[in-house]
Amino acid sequence: MKAKTSNAPLITLALAALGLIGAEVTLYLSYFYTPVQISAGTLYVVTPSSGSTINLYESYRIFFIHLPAAYATALCCTLAAVGGIAWLLTRKDAWQALIVSASEVGLATGAIVLLTGTFWADYAWGSGRIGSGWNWEPRLTTMLILWLAFAALLVLRRAMDTDKQRAMMTAVYGILLGPLYPLVSKAIEIGQTSHPKSFSDLLSAPEIATTKQVATIGILLALVSMVALRYCWNRLGQRMAQERAA
Amino acid sequence: MRTKTLITSMGLFAMLCVVIFGLGVKGLALDETFRRFVLAALWVCTWFAAVVGLNRAAASDRNKSFFSALMLLPFDPALVYLVRLVSTLVWLVITQALLVLLAVPMLKFDFFSQPLMLAVALMADVGILALGVLLASATGRLRGGEALLTIALLPVTVPVFLAATGATEALHTGSGAAEAWPYVLLLGVCDAMFLALGLLLFGKLNEG
Repeated sequence: MKAKTSNAPLITLALAALGLIGAEVTLYLSYFYTPVQISAGTLYVVTPSSGSTINLYESYRIFFIHLPAAYATALCCTLAAVGGIAWLLTRKDAWQALIVSASEVGLATGAIVLLTGTFWADYAWGSGRIGSGWNWEPRLTTMLILWLAFAALLVLRRAMDTDKQRAMMTAVYGILLGPLYPLVSKAIEIGQTSHPKSFSDLLSAPEIATTKQVATIGILLALVSMVALRYCWNRLGQRMAQERAA
Repeated sequence: MRTKTLITSMGLFAMLCVVIFGLGVKGLALDETFRRFVLAALWVCTWFAAVVGLNRAAASDRNKSFFSALMLLPFDPALVYLVRLVSTLVWLVITQALLVLLAVPMLKFDFFSQPLMLAVALMADVGILALGVLLASATGRLRGGEALLTIALLPVTVPVFLAATGATEALHTGSGAAEAWPYVLLLGVCDAMFLALGLLLFGKLNEG
């Protein structure tokens, strides 16, 4: 337990440094390495059962932020559920800190996914005006719900009367978050969807495929380091509360 | 006494749902759009009726410290959970029945043409209440817990909501039962999962 708390800041620093480098490299690659396509060309996304393919022009670059943020949200959702189960089994404070950190960062990364997604959708599905791309498509809607669930966990936690109830509610709601992620990931298979399902056309350009790999690792590391940072912060808060009580 | 107030409040709730909805869509022709609105309204009203029912039950528990007494008894918490679930389910089904009976003539809602709708409605109620009873047992003890339950319950019951609206739409827009089955299956999976979670976690959430 003691070794764990003393290691956490170091791991966080290492993750943050790697994440910073990864994010910078991703930004560089996505602007200077990936091909420019001004006129209608070969870079398309496959559109859904309804409608024709959309020429992406330059809009595909937002994808290098959107995808890692979506992965990070999935990871936060999983961490919250795992933390909930682990806390109920072991009753160690560290798991509480993990659930809270995962929900806080999940709220941020979920917002990034929703915002980058809708900005792109305004261009690709809508008329270009803000909000015109929001079409209540299953993936959008379930992602918004997952985001609301992260918010609900943090609100519920604050509202509880005693520390014990707070911990219990956090763990139980963390577990309830678990089934939501499979729903988000399966949402593109339910009913009509305009969310792209396959990126094979886009990824056939080797520069784009490489940048996607780098972005996935780099940006994901940056976002994971945020979870680690919040974890250290929440652990510190727990220890201060313990010392104040003693 | 409690029974009487609950029936009255839920009956009035159902009536008001239909009236407010009718006022909201007045002037809309009885076409496809109108029918879709009525189907959506059924589920929105069911969901809020569930929240109202759960909150009312929690409020009277809080007033009489009934719940803490119940948890002190030497019963398995899972049994307490099941009893609460069944009692709340009865009230929700009654409210839903009133809602449908009023909506059939007033909103021209063609509910009874599809017998599978009865199963869908019941399964959706179980799914919503399985988590509702679990969460209400914690939020019911707090001041301002009514609003909290609404915030907490909607995101996690969305799979049920999605399956219920999907099945309803498939049954009522002509695609028929074949297209509704995947949604009914999803409802079944959600019910089983949420019931299992409720049975496992109810005792933990209310211990000590």
